[in-house]
Amino acid sequence: MLLSLLMAVLAEGDAELIKRLQSRDPQALAEIYDRYGRVAYSLILRVVRDAAIAEDLVQETFLRVWNRAQGFDAERGAFGPWLLSVARNRAIDYLRSAGGRERNALELDEVDHPALYTNMERDILASDDARVIRAALLKLTPQQREVIELAYYEGLTQTEMAERMGQPLGTVKTWVRTALKNLRDELGVAVPA
Amino acid sequence: MNHEELQGQYELYAMGVAEDPERNEIREHLDRGCEVCMKEMRRARQVASMIGASSAPAAPSAKLRRRILASVGVEQRSFGWAPWLGLVAALSLVGAFYFEARERSSLEELAAVRSQMRQQAVDLTRLNEAMTIMNGADTRQVNFGAGPKGKVFVNPASGVLLIATNLPPAPAGKAYEMWVIPKGANPVPAGTFQSQADGTAMHVRTGPVDMNGVTIAVTLEDQAGAAQPTSPILMVATLQ
Repeated sequence: MLLSLLMAVLAEGDAELIKRLQSRDPQALAEIYDRYGRVAYSLILRVVRDAAIAEDLVQETFLRVWNRAQGFDAERGAFGPWLLSVARNRAIDYLRSAGGRERNALELDEVDHPALYTNMERDILASDDARVIRAALLKLTPQQREVIELAYYEGLTQTEMAERMGQPLGTVKTWVRTALKNLRDELGVAVPA
Repeated sequence: MNHEELQGQYELYAMGVAEDPERNEIREHLDRGCEVCMKEMRRARQVASMIGASSAPAAPSAKLRRRILASVGVEQRSFGWAPWLGLVAALSLVGAFYFEARERSSLEELAAVRSQMRQQAVDLTRLNEAMTIMNGADTRQVNFGAGPKGKVFVNPASGVLLIATNLPPAPAGKAYEMWVIPKGANPVPAGTFQSQADGTAMHVRTGPVDMNGVTIAVTLEDQAGAAQPTSPILMVATLQ
């Protein structure tokens, strides 16, 4: 019986889980936490660098997912990427508020709308992609890697990066453009047409 | 502004850090249903997600799960495998004492209880092996399948765990056999297993595994198992 339970927990796809979440089944939220809690926490901790704050933000993330799951397409949606987007944006929002940079709060709301996360590779968190992207990031030059990290983990615009790094805006833009092109090429990210 | 000029801006837009005029330009394209921009945005969101998923692994405290569930109105006991294992062990003991006391004279029933306990012990051992592989710091996971589908967890020290669904029970006299295929080498038998009536199956092969490009495959073989695959591969997963 226990083996069956283990298999059922592991083998059930996100789609069924999301449908249960949409029908307000708290056990579905528990299972989603078991599946994604650690990766969400890891990401948020990387941004805020404080364990207690990171846990508060993970809680906010899962509450937001709980409250917004109705807008998610259970059949075509990519749940992992959406949840990570919510987690990252909660953390960036916190960082911006703490640093007095609240200008983009609405924009963050806009980019983690659940309806946007469809027709993508769904299982990015269950594959070797984390290892692949770590390797891809390591292939970037230090400056290219830094601008990507400043954008993703600190939510800085190119203008803010230029100020932070004491570099001309044009130079930063070149680093960003080249870094993203290299990442795309390295990852071979394909999406359905 | 054409799409060529917007290259490199989609990821920034997906991260909420694009600036004008590119930000407004992408927004306008999306608002009017520009197919190119919608496709680029899906790609950009995927790149952003992959960056997020690459963050150095860290573990939250155990109480966070309870906090989150409590915040949606559920007071729930902490969940973990240890309590399950403890519960089973306790139930087994209680069951054994109960039956032994009540049916001391019934050797058949006692034998049944012992058999059940042995089966539970086997299940617990397999569960422990499975959990060891799944929770290993070096464990990697790949999905497989159309038709039979599932996940394979590979740990370089602990072994291979295969979990499958949609795998019909093997015909009489047959069994599924798992193969570990090292890169550039012949398949190595990794044990036979049966699927459940509901099409689920779990199989563990303990022991060290060379993770470099290893492939895990499953074929249908005679119940005793084969030294090399003799039938088409039903499931295959390769660690890149």
